Amino acid sequence: MSQTQTTRLEKQKTEQVEAGAAGHGAEPRGKRTEDGQATYLVAIAEALWEEMERDDRVYMLGEDIGVYGGAFKVTEGFYERFGAERVIDTPIAEETIVGVAIGSAMEGFRPVAEFQYSDFMTSGFDEISTALARVHYRSGVPLPVVLRGPSGGMVRASSFHSINPEPWFAYSGGIKIVCPAFPADAKGLLKSAIRDDNPVMFLEHKWIYRRIREQVPEDPDFLIPIGVADVKREGDDVSIVTYGAMVHRALEAAQALEGEGISAEVVDLRSVVPLDEETVLRSIEKTSRAVVLSESYRTVGIGAEVASTIAEKAFEHLDAPVVRLSPPNVPVPFSPTLEDAFLPGVNDIVAEVKKLSAW
Amino acid sequence: MARTQTRQDEQQKAERRLPDDELKRALYLLKLCRYFDERMETLYRQGKLPGAIYSGRGQEGTHIGVVLPLGPDDSLFPTHRDLSAQIAKGLDLKRIMAQFWGRIDGYTRGRDGNSHIGDWYGNKTWTVMSHLPIAYPVAVGAAWSYQRRGEPHVAMAICGDGATSNGRWHESLNWSAVYRLPVVWVVNNNLYAYSTPNKLEFPVPTIAERAAAYGMPGVRVDGSDVLAVEAAAREAVERARAGGGPTLIESVSLRWKGHAGHDPAKYVPKELLEEYMRDKDPVKNFEAYLLAEGVISEQDVADLQAKIEKEFDEGYEFAQASPYPEPQDFAKGLWVEDGYWTSEPGRDGGTEAP
Repeated sequence: MSQTQTTRLEKQKTEQVEAGAAGHGAEPRGKRTEDGQATYLVAIAEALWEEMERDDRVYMLGEDIGVYGGAFKVTEGFYERFGAERVIDTPIAEETIVGVAIGSAMEGFRPVAEFQYSDFMTSGFDEISTALARVHYRSGVPLPVVLRGPSGGMVRASSFHSINPEPWFAYSGGIKIVCPAFPADAKGLLKSAIRDDNPVMFLEHKWIYRRIREQVPEDPDFLIPIGVADVKREGDDVSIVTYGAMVHRALEAAQALEGEGISAEVVDLRSVVPLDEETVLRSIEKTSRAVVLSESYRTVGIGAEVASTIAEKAFEHLDAPVVRLSPPNVPVPFSPTLEDAFLPGVNDIVAEVKKLSAW
Repeated sequence: MARTQTRQDEQQKAERRLPDDELKRALYLLKLCRYFDERMETLYRQGKLPGAIYSGRGQEGTHIGVVLPLGPDDSLFPTHRDLSAQIAKGLDLKRIMAQFWGRIDGYTRGRDGNSHIGDWYGNKTWTVMSHLPIAYPVAVGAAWSYQRRGEPHVAMAICGDGATSNGRWHESLNWSAVYRLPVVWVVNNNLYAYSTPNKLEFPVPTIAERAAAYGMPGVRVDGSDVLAVEAAAREAVERARAGGGPTLIESVSLRWKGHAGHDPAKYVPKELLEEYMRDKDPVKNFEAYLLAEGVISEQDVADLQAKIEKEFDEGYEFAQASPYPEPQDFAKGLWVEDGYWTSEPGRDGGTEAP
């Protein structure tokens, strides 16, 4: 077998693993490396494990999360440790998964429901946007419910396994929405989500799962507050405001721009509800230029919301129009050439930043 | 004739269970709910009541009958049609009426109106939502909680015939049977889903027989006969408490009024409505039965009616005297940390009476 063939096969295998159940190739989630680094996936599993150990009211439910360990193997080993009572394999019934989470939260439990893919959150749409989002406002009954699932594209998973569902549910009101980009953020935010008395949607970008690793705190009370953005790279000329896997593309673009003498700041929102306007606006005050980069669709997407906030509240600081960089409202295509063209790439980001810098 | 015989059997069975004071309580609830429904409709038609009304008239036998076997720790997940069931579960008429007039003392503090009501912390009832049967999956979660903790409590959910066409109805029955959960599924089959008749909602003769497909018992009862309903519900509740899993109860009656106050319900054949109002009035029939059995006297009935009318008037006065919510508070209560539901009025937990 030639070197090229071997590489191609390895790449295929990696893509299958990333695609989870659809790729029929899920592999064990693995552990931290010897020097203590954890992947995003391991960090998420650690957060779940620690909170399950800490609080008996926490339990998990979802499709194939128990005996099988989940489509992406996030919950591998949980069934053996915590048993069928706290790691529940459910029927394929998303409305009822959410309903059970609500009903048990009303009775004092703290459910963490896994969606095999966040695409399937729309199969539970009404229970999420009508019930979960509105129980507390109308009755005063807190719903400490976490809905978590893999989101986003970049792994050739096509139309029904690549969605960014956050705009649909941001509109509902009453549900916090977290979209971390790094393992440590994922761990600290998921632990905060489980301890939060409000409903929280926790979106795990599947491209990041096994690709990004870093040092992750082991303190069982390591928490990152929900609703606080983080500047992942300081810069002076342009702000790239983004979240999720696009943070990594933004960082790559910023690196490339540095070579051309342009200093880009990368603001990682980390959560889209609540939106940390203060951190975003502070960055714009400094740079006077904003590229709002999101993997959610352009029209009525999260980027549109962030861009209008900047236009409304930082107008006097802007030296250039606020630019949105997001895919069009088109189903996520499969073929590598199509998906790559569909998603904002590093080159697209570099080009937009350069255009803005010319103002 | 066969039906009469069945009814006598049911009554004999029920009588063995229900002492006189409980029979009297059932009559009180039936008459209270009927009177409330009629008076509220009058106020609505006089333009004195804001928002909408969803009359449950003619279905009180179902509403009271299914709730009678429930205890304070059992939870109830009703619809907007089932205010009578919530009254039977224990909600306070004063606060119900404050809710109808959008006042701060209503159970939702003006955040919702009419029978979109509930009192989770006080009487364990779900605050009604319109997307039916949205509370069926939630009832599965409550029932799971009782099973997990080994508590002898039961969750009961009610929906109408129309909601059985929705996927969630099937998801919930299926799930509850797979996990053998302590839940009682009630379908208030009042023959019409808004204007849509049974024959356009399901192709099988009865809803109850659908239970077999989920591996649970299904029973169809005459919703005009409160004791027959009570007997069926008691059996289901006891089965659930004992770990025997879910039951489906189809209780049949007719919705005497339109879907909501604006709907004259001309799609209901006149003869059918007349038949139900003449022969299948759950309130009138039960009162006649208790008189015939000597459980109550004509004087008792008159006293009861006077008590109910006084209660209504007091509720009305309370509601009119209750303040409106502060306009600037409209966004509060969305997040737990804003503290609105644990602030005055109301103690911790928020839905307790001030």
